[in-house]
Amino acid sequence: MTASNELTRLGPAPDQSGTQPLLELRDLDTDIALRRGTVHALDGVDLQVMPGETLGVVGESGSGKTMTALSIMGLLPPGGRVTGGEIRFEGRDLRSLPADEVRRIRGVRMGMVFQDPLTSLNPTMRIGFQVAEPLRVHQGVGKAEARERAIEILRRVGMPRPERIVDNYPHELSGGMRQRVAIAMALVCSPRLLIADEPTTALDVTTQRQILELIDDLKDEFGMAVILVTHDLGVIAGRADRVAVMYAGRVVETAATGELFRSPRHRYTEALMEALPESAIRDDGAHARLYSIPGLPPDLSQPLTGCRFAPRCRYVTAECRTTEVTLSTGPHQHACLHPVPATAPAPLARTAPAAPSADAGGTPPAADDRTAPASAAEPVAASAAKAVAAEPTAAEPAVAPAAGSAVAEPAAAPILSVRGLVKNYPAGGGLWRRSAGQVSAVAGVSFEVRPGETFGLVGESGCGKSTIGRLVVGLETPTAGQIVLDGTDIATLRGRERRRMHRQVQLMFQDSYAAMNPRMRVDAILAEPLEIQQVGNAAARRARIATLLDQVGLSRRALERYPHEFSGGQLQRIGLARSLALQPRLIVGDEPVSALDVSIQAQVLNLMRDLQQELGLAYVFISHDLSVVDYMADRIGVMYLGKLVEVGPAREVVRAARHPYTQALIDAVPTVTPNAEAARSGIAIRGELPSALNPPTGCRFRTRCPFAQEICETEPPLTGGVHQVACHFPLRPESTASTAGSADGVPAVNAVPSAEAAR
Amino acid sequence: MVRYLITRLGQALVVVLLVTVIAFLILHLLPGGAARATLGKEATLEQLAAFNHEMGYDRPWIQQYGMFMQRLLQGDLGYSYQLNQSVSEAIMQRLPKTMVLSLLSTLLAIVVAIPLGVIQAVRRNRWPDYVITSLSLLAYATPIFFLGLMLIILFSQVWPVLPPEAPQGFTVAEVLSDPAGLVLPTVTLAIVTIAVYSRYVRSSMVDNLNENYVRTARSKGLSERRVVLRHTLRNGLFPVITLLGMYLPALFSGALVVESLFNYPGMGQLFWQAALKRDFPILLGVTLIISIATVVGALLADLLYAAVDPRVRLRRSAS
Repeated sequence: MTASNELTRLGPAPDQSGTQPLLELRDLDTDIALRRGTVHALDGVDLQVMPGETLGVVGESGSGKTMTALSIMGLLPPGGRVTGGEIRFEGRDLRSLPADEVRRIRGVRMGMVFQDPLTSLNPTMRIGFQVAEPLRVHQGVGKAEARERAIEILRRVGMPRPERIVDNYPHELSGGMRQRVAIAMALVCSPRLLIADEPTTALDVTTQRQILELIDDLKDEFGMAVILVTHDLGVIAGRADRVAVMYAGRVVETAATGELFRSPRHRYTEALMEALPESAIRDDGAHARLYSIPGLPPDLSQPLTGCRFAPRCRYVTAECRTTEVTLSTGPHQHACLHPVPATAPAPLARTAPAAPSADAGGTPPAADDRTAPASAAEPVAASAAKAVAAEPTAAEPAVAPAAGSAVAEPAAAPILSVRGLVKNYPAGGGLWRRSAGQVSAVAGVSFEVRPGETFGLVGESGCGKSTIGRLVVGLETPTAGQIVLDGTDIATLRGRERRRMHRQVQLMFQDSYAAMNPRMRVDAILAEPLEIQQVGNAAARRARIATLLDQVGLSRRALERYPHEFSGGQLQRIGLARSLALQPRLIVGDEPVSALDVSIQAQVLNLMRDLQQELGLAYVFISHDLSVVDYMADRIGVMYLGKLVEVGPAREVVRAARHPYTQALIDAVPTVTPNAEAARSGIAIRGELPSALNPPTGCRFRTRCPFAQEICETEPPLTGGVHQVACHFPLRPESTASTAGSADGVPAVNAVPSAEAAR
Repeated sequence: MVRYLITRLGQALVVVLLVTVIAFLILHLLPGGAARATLGKEATLEQLAAFNHEMGYDRPWIQQYGMFMQRLLQGDLGYSYQLNQSVSEAIMQRLPKTMVLSLLSTLLAIVVAIPLGVIQAVRRNRWPDYVITSLSLLAYATPIFFLGLMLIILFSQVWPVLPPEAPQGFTVAEVLSDPAGLVLPTVTLAIVTIAVYSRYVRSSMVDNLNENYVRTARSKGLSERRVVLRHTLRNGLFPVITLLGMYLPALFSGALVVESLFNYPGMGQLFWQAALKRDFPILLGVTLIISIATVVGALLADLLYAAVDPRVRLRRSAS
């Protein structure tokens, strides 16, 4: 292809010596002036990027990783300003160059890809114009040639039919395709440095894998360096040569990727890895309690002294709070007074003794001072405890017949039984016309949830998992099929009985802030379900609310505050408290931790598990994140385009997947084991999710399945015993014993210590 | 597209019909009466009754409405005894003149307001923004007759460069042949509009400049000028389209105060005088024209949206 030569020829590329860093940040300070004060977003950041290297920058929200990227590009938000240090790019300090020169460097020598592809493109400009604009502006390329070049670069980033796409507008493309456009736009001038800021966070895992692979390929092809900014340790582990870990505006540790993941030195890095759900799943399938980092990151608008992680650290000493720690020298740098010993045992071994003690000594919002108040003699709480303590199923009428094949534990009647559930939405159409067609959101789904069980529902966006959640809690009515709750078909309920049914099942939302009235205080928010259901009198309700706060580990002071005064993790606790108010037996959690950082996510997941054991709750846990579902769920259902393609015990589904889609999904999830990418079975699905408006006939996955045959045009039934699959060519027979799961599952953090060698 | 148009026009028809019903009802519930207003204080009761009978004003309103609609379908808007001319003739005489004034002032407002709004957004929370914001709030808060009087005093008394009166020509051509006379009414009318439009442009531009796509444009190393003018301005002007659509009725109804102040015989004056004299046929006719303009304005705004924003798909029905 001629494109390759032409594109690489464009850059003048003065500095190709491998020893000189392409980009070097020296003691970089960035401030952001807000009305309430100045946030010191970056404080003395030192980073180096060598030519052709991928540097991963990882950290939680507020760590300064995105501000680092924006400082380099000179794209800080209003009020943002680099106040000190140097940004040396190709040997020159960008801060000392004239603005026009910097602008040209930004356009030609650097490229940036942003997080949200849906909003990052101009909605009213054609794709081709946007992609070729840097060429026209910086290199004076004519209109016709610019169009040709746009088509070429779009082809290079794997865009189907680029000669047609150039004339399209962004809204006509899917998220993954728009991200390809954004990458093409960043690469059109053949930059030396590509900065990708959370490039795949808004995308589904299978699309994420395609985009990350694309960036890898293009990096080699263009010989450019990449800065990959992400919160996802898994993404970094698979792609970066070196990693810099950021916390509260500083780089706390930097090392070669394999080295960092094999033996993290800084206590924050160590804690972050232990908080990952996959590190709590032992090889034998037992689920350890997640290590959760207590407290919250510091407020960067306040003056800070000492190690910024000290208030949340398990190994903190008085020294840590007063001494300014700088990065150590050498290939593996860290800024910690009490680092993990270099020849550390595997982190998992440390998890068990360390975690409980750290949790118990947690800061106020931590979830552990809960046991004492729960046993207080408040009437509502007492009855709650009793209801749970008593055998919940004993009094149930055995209405639900043993449905179909899923008979694992015949003793417990299911709390929820979904049979042949169908939900169609009219497409287009409107008031005066019949609709143009139907969107098949859920197409014949059946599953059961037993008391005290967690049923995980995974799938990519648009697969219908959230619709199922909404149907189960009664927010929408099914087109066909039955939802049997506690032995009663909810479709038969009317009025008062239907309202009482709602007590049994409650919903927990992804974005708790959006799901709360911003003008209601927390006490009113928590009392509302009780008032609607007319439970008890005012005093009893107050007592119940106090119990709820204790259960979710929040102080009573929270009652008088408004939702905007809380952090994301605290809001999720309040959301959980609200759904617990009516003492439901089933909680449907729709992506309950997807918006949270890893350390906060661990707090909420632990809380959910604790409450499940305490109250005998059943969960339907809906998530796109396979590792979270794997950690939380007893059984998992995998959905694809409105159908359940595989159901089984969590361990079996994740470690011995039978459906090709499940396997592809598992393979696409980036893990923190650096060389896991290489060890994978290689089922990578290509292309895009088909439209649910006219879904494929027969097996809906067949259009993307590598094993599809003619027979797949007929619909495969969900068959099997405990581990069911809907596939004509299942990958493996149902395993009788739990022997599988050593080779290609999700191994623990440090199980495979050979990544460095692979590089 | 065609189906969309037909649907929308059908809806428009319903709206216009409802407007005529409501206008008819309100006018007939008013105290006093057309007869007294037409015939004057000296008229006897018999004369009044005869007038009412002749005009059909003594019949039930539903019947009167039926008659009105019947004539309307034949294109007959009625006859004003007070002006001694047919309603359509009276309207056609004044409508073009009102449109000249409204169009000129709208044009002036757009040409001035868009740059003002853009400057404010780009220099947000700095002195150009504060100065323009203060001035537009002042303009917005000043009563228009006071504004007009001040302009007349300034530019035809203190510094006599412009006539204090609008052109008195009978036709559009005659009006246009005296451009100096049009300056003050046009400017008076435009100043308030500029204040409103520039606020809209400012806030819309501020919103758009904070969008991610603008950051993407900057990441391409584009100049600030290109980022604002090529990438943001077009998207920032969408709210103005809605404003223009809403302004169309004003184009027809005229600016009552300005027309009175500068003694410009347009639609505003016609309506005002008809209201004073209870000249029902004129009132109904003008109301009808304005309601049609309102509906058509909304439709034109939607069509314009579809033309400039590729995301807008005109659906077959609007629900």
